[in-house]
Amino acid sequence: MGAPRLSRRQFILGSGTALMAATARPRAARGQARRGQVIAGLSERMLTLDPANHYSISSTSVLRHVYDPLLDVTNDDKFVPALAESWKPINNTTWRFVLRRGVRFHDGTPFTADSVVFTLKRVRDNTKLIKSFVYQDIEDVRKDDDVTVTVTTKRPFGSLPAHLTMLGMLPPTTGANEDAFFTKPVGTGPFRFTSWTHGDHVELEANAGYWRASVPKVDKLTFRFIPELSTRAAALRAGEIHVIDRVWPDMVSTLKATPGIKVHDIPAVEAQRWHFQLAREAGKDPRVRKAVSLAIDRNTIIKELLLGYARPVVSPVPPGLIGHTNLGQKPYDPDRARTILKQAGHQNLTLDFVLMKDLYPKQLEIAQAVAAMLGDVGIKVNIRNLEIATAREQRTAGNYDLFFSGWAHMPHDPDWYFGQWFTRAGAEKMTRFNDPRVEQLIAEGRVPDPKVRQQKYEEIQKILWEDEPEIWPYYSVAIYAVSDKLRNFEARRDYYVLLHEVAIA
Amino acid sequence: MRRVARHPMIVVGGLILAAVIVASAAAPWLTRADPLRPSFAQRLRPPQGFGAVHPLGTDNLGRDILARVLHGGRLSLVLAATAVALAAGVGVAVGLSAGLIGGRLDDFVMRLADVQLAFPVIMLAIAIVAVIGTSAAALVGVLALSGWVLYARTVRAAVLTIRETDYVEAARTLGAGNLRLIGRHILPNTLAPILVLGSSQFATMVLLESGLSFLGLGLQPPQPSWGLMLAEGRDYLSNAWWLATVPGIAISLVVLGANLLGDGLRDVLDPRLRQ
Amino acid sequence: MRAYLLRRLWQSAVTLVGVSVLVFVILRVIPGDPAKMLLPEGAPQAAVEALNRHLGLREPLWIQYALFVRSVVRGDFGQSFQYRAPALRIVIERVPATIQLALTAMALTVLAGVPLGILAAVRQRTGWDYAGTVIAVLGQSLPNFWLGIMLVLLFGVTLRWLPTSGFGGWPSLVLPSVTLAAFPTALVARLTRSSLLEILGQEYIRTGRAKGLGEPRVVLRHALRNAMIPLLTVLGLQIGTLLGGAVITESIFAWPGMGKLVVDAIFFRDFPVVQTILILSATLFVVINLLVDLLYTILDPRIRYG
Repeated sequence: MGAPRLSRRQFILGSGTALMAATARPRAARGQARRGQVIAGLSERMLTLDPANHYSISSTSVLRHVYDPLLDVTNDDKFVPALAESWKPINNTTWRFVLRRGVRFHDGTPFTADSVVFTLKRVRDNTKLIKSFVYQDIEDVRKDDDVTVTVTTKRPFGSLPAHLTMLGMLPPTTGANEDAFFTKPVGTGPFRFTSWTHGDHVELEANAGYWRASVPKVDKLTFRFIPELSTRAAALRAGEIHVIDRVWPDMVSTLKATPGIKVHDIPAVEAQRWHFQLAREAGKDPRVRKAVSLAIDRNTIIKELLLGYARPVVSPVPPGLIGHTNLGQKPYDPDRARTILKQAGHQNLTLDFVLMKDLYPKQLEIAQAVAAMLGDVGIKVNIRNLEIATAREQRTAGNYDLFFSGWAHMPHDPDWYFGQWFTRAGAEKMTRFNDPRVEQLIAEGRVPDPKVRQQKYEEIQKILWEDEPEIWPYYSVAIYAVSDKLRNFEARRDYYVLLHEVAIA
Repeated sequence: MRRVARHPMIVVGGLILAAVIVASAAAPWLTRADPLRPSFAQRLRPPQGFGAVHPLGTDNLGRDILARVLHGGRLSLVLAATAVALAAGVGVAVGLSAGLIGGRLDDFVMRLADVQLAFPVIMLAIAIVAVIGTSAAALVGVLALSGWVLYARTVRAAVLTIRETDYVEAARTLGAGNLRLIGRHILPNTLAPILVLGSSQFATMVLLESGLSFLGLGLQPPQPSWGLMLAEGRDYLSNAWWLATVPGIAISLVVLGANLLGDGLRDVLDPRLRQ
Repeated sequence: MRAYLLRRLWQSAVTLVGVSVLVFVILRVIPGDPAKMLLPEGAPQAAVEALNRHLGLREPLWIQYALFVRSVVRGDFGQSFQYRAPALRIVIERVPATIQLALTAMALTVLAGVPLGILAAVRQRTGWDYAGTVIAVLGQSLPNFWLGIMLVLLFGVTLRWLPTSGFGGWPSLVLPSVTLAAFPTALVARLTRSSLLEILGQEYIRTGRAKGLGEPRVVLRHALRNAMIPLLTVLGLQIGTLLGGAVITESIFAWPGMGKLVVDAIFFRDFPVVQTILILSATLFVVINLLVDLLYTILDPRIRYG
C-alpha cells in the first residue's frame, strides 16, 4: 500500500486553510470573528426609521441597532455611557454632556457636538414629530466645543437622561433633505441599514468600524414583524428564526417542549393598572374603590391565569426604577368588601369594564375572572372589549368605570407616568384625577437630584396607595424564546430585543 | 310532500339540524354545569368522555365546554339563521327586481352593491356600532349587510337567463302578470342556487360573528356564543385544541345538516325533474 | 351593446366618486382619533390637538375633501399616518403578494371545486356524491385560522416540508393559498353540482343523448356552459373578497397582503391608506362585475340588458 498520502481534496483544503490563515486580517486574531445571520421575530411592526418620530418600545429596540443615543440603560437599570462619556446636572435646569471621541457615522462623517445640537433642536422645533412634546421643556442646546454640549431647560428636567436613551443621534446633514435621508438612513450604531419592507421586515448589516470592540458579532441582522404569536412561535420552532419576543404564558410549555429552544423570562418594568373613572358615580366614592380592590384576588390571577408569569405589586412604580418602594401587598378580603359596600349603600352596583382589544396577554380572560370575583361581592360587571381607537374615545369621554391598561416605563423614569396621570392637566381628558398635594409633589420630583426624587415619589405613592384611584393587579413578566444556536442573548426587562452582543453558533 | 319525506338527504339533514336545535334548546336540562362561572382549579382539562364530570373538557377559565357549546348554540343558531334569512330575503328581493324590471333600477341597485362591496366588513361594523352601539341587533345587521349581495347577483343572473326563455314568453303572452311569473316560473328556477348559498352561509355567519365579537364589535364575553368560543380558543390551538375544535365541530354539524337539507330540497323542488 | 357599455362606464365613474365621498365621511365621523393612535398613551391633550391640526383633520369636511380630490387627480393619495410615506406607495408595495395569493387560491378553487362538483353531479346519490358532501362541509365550516394553524403545525413545524410563514418563493405560497381556497372550493363544488343537476335534466340534453353523442361530451359541452353563470357570479365576488378579505390568512402566515393592510389601517385610523385601498377596491369590483355581466351574454346569448 505504501505511506498514507494526502488525497487531492485534502491537499487543496489544507492549502486553502493555510492560505487563509496567512492572509487573515489582524481583526480576526483579536477575538471571535464576525459571522452569520440572526433573524428575530418581533410582535410589533416598525413604522418609521426616524428615532424622533415614534413612541414604540419595539421600534426603539430595532432602531437602537442603527443609531446610538447619548446614553443607554442596562438591564439592571443603570444609565451607562453610549455616545456621551459623561453627563451631569450643573444646576436644576442645566445638564452638561461630554461626548465620546473618534466616533464616525456610517457614511464616514465624524460624530461631534453639532450632531447633538442638531438632533435635539430638531425634535424640539419640528412639532410634527411624535417625540416633540417631550422636549418642549428644552430652552437651549449649546455647543461648547466639539465634545461638550450644554442643555438648558425651562423648568427642572430630571428625567432628561432617561428620555435621551431613546433618541438616536442624527448627522447634521439630515436637515438638508429629510425624506431622502430616511430612505437610507445613517447612524453611528453597530449595524448599517440595508433595506426595509414596510410592515414585513427590515435588514441590517454589520458596521465594521463600530466604536465598541468586538461588537457586533454577526454579519447580518433581520427583524421580521410577525404580530401573530402562534406564527412567531411556529417560525422559531421550525428553525426559521432565532428569537421571539412577547411570548404569552400559555405558549411557554409548548416552546419548552421543543428541542433546541430555550425560554427566558424576567420581571418587566411594567405594572398593569386598571384605572377608575373618577367622575362617575362608582369611581367617585373611595369606599367603592376600596371594596373593588379588596374583592380582587390578585394572587389567583398571577398563579392560575398567568401561570406564575407575573409578580405581586408593592408600589405603583415597579422595581428598578427610581421611586420604587415597598408598601406591602394589597389584601384579598371579599367579606370586608361586601361590608363596605353595604355600609356605603351601594347594593346593586354595575361597572363598565373597558378593554382595548388584544393589547395585553390574557386580558380578556383576566377581565372575566375579575367580573366573577366582583360578582361574588355583589357588583355586576359589563365587559366591553373594544377596538383600540373606540376604547380611547370612550375613555376621553369618561364612558367607563374601570379601564384595563398597563404602563411600561419607557423611558426608565416614572416622571412621565405621574405627570400624565396624576396632574390635573394630564388627567383632565382621562381619569379626571385631581389632587393638589400630588400635583405639588410631582413638580418637586422633577429636579435632577436622585435622593430628592426618591423621597418625593415615595410620598406620592403613599397617597395613591391609600386613595386607590387605580388598581395595580400585578407587575408583568417579559418572556422571550430563543434558539439554542443563539449565544449571549440577554432577556431584557424593558421588552427591548437587543442583538449587539449575540453570536450565532 | 311525500317525496320530501322520503328523500334520504332531506331526512338525514333535517334530523341532524333538529338534533342540534333541540340539544341547544334543552341545554339547561342536558347539563348542570354553569357555562359562565370560572373555576380556576379546573382550567384546560382535556375531554374526559361520556359520563365524566367534564365530557368535553374545560376551557381557559375552567368552564365546562359541553355546557358552553350547548348554551352557546342557542345564541349562535338564532343569530346566524336570522342573519342568513335577512341577507337572503333582501338579496333575493333586490335581485328579482333588478333582473325583472331591469334598466335604471338594475343599474342603480347593482352600483349600490358595488359601492358596498368596496367596504370591508370591519369598517361597516365599526360604523354601525358607532351609531347604534354593540348589540345582537347591530350584529345581525352587519352580518346581513355582508351577505345580501351574493344572493342579489346570483338571483339576478338567473332571472336574466330565464326571462327570455320560451315558456316564460309563452306565459307572458297568455297574460301572466309579473307576480305570477315570479311565483310560478322564475322563483322555482332560482331556488337551487339560493338554497346552496344559504346553507353555505350559515357557517360564514358564525365565523364572521366570531371575528367581530373578538374585535369588540359583536357579542361581549362571557357570553358563550360559538363564535366567541372559537375566538378565545384560537390562542390555545397548540396546547388545548379542544377549546376551538368543539365549537368547530358543532358548526360543522349544522353546516352538514343545512347542506344535506338544502341539496335535498333542491333535488325535490327542481321543476324539471318533476315531470 | 355600445350604449350599454358607455352607460356602465359613466356609472362606474359615479360609483367611484360615491365611494370616495362615503369613505371620507365615514372615517371622519366614526369615533377614533388618528393623532391619539400615533401618540403614546401618555401624551398631553395639547400634543394631540397639534398633531391633528398638522394632519389637516381640523379643517371643515368639505375643504378636506376638496384638497383630497385635487391631490388624487395629481396621483397623490396623501401621506400614510402610520408610515409617514406616500399612501399609494405603501398600498402598491402589497400588490405582488396579494395578487399571487389571490390568483393561486382562485386557481385552486376552480381546479379542485369544479371537478368535484361535476363528479358529484354525474355520480349523484353514490359514494362519490356523499364524499363530496363531506369535503364540502369541511371546507365551509373549518374556521380559516384553525385550518391555517393546523397546516402550519403539521407541514411547517413537525414535518418542516414548507415554510411556516412569510412571503418568498413558491413553497411559501402553498399553505396560505390552500387555507384561503378551502371555503370557496366547497362553495364552487356545491354550486357546480347543483347547476349541473338542473341542466342534466333538461329537454335538449336528453335530445343530445338520444342522438347518440357520448355522455362525457354531452355533459361538458352543453351543461357546463350553462352552469357557468351562477358559478361566474360567485367567482367574481370571490376574487374581490380574496383580495381584500384575506386578513385572517394573511395574519396567520405573516403574508404582506392588502387584507391585513386595510384592516390594520382601519384600526389605526390611517385615513389616507384606507381611502386609497377602498377606492382601488371599488374600482376593482366595478371592473370585475362589468366583466362578469359581459361574460354572461357570451355564455348565454339569450341574456340581454334592457
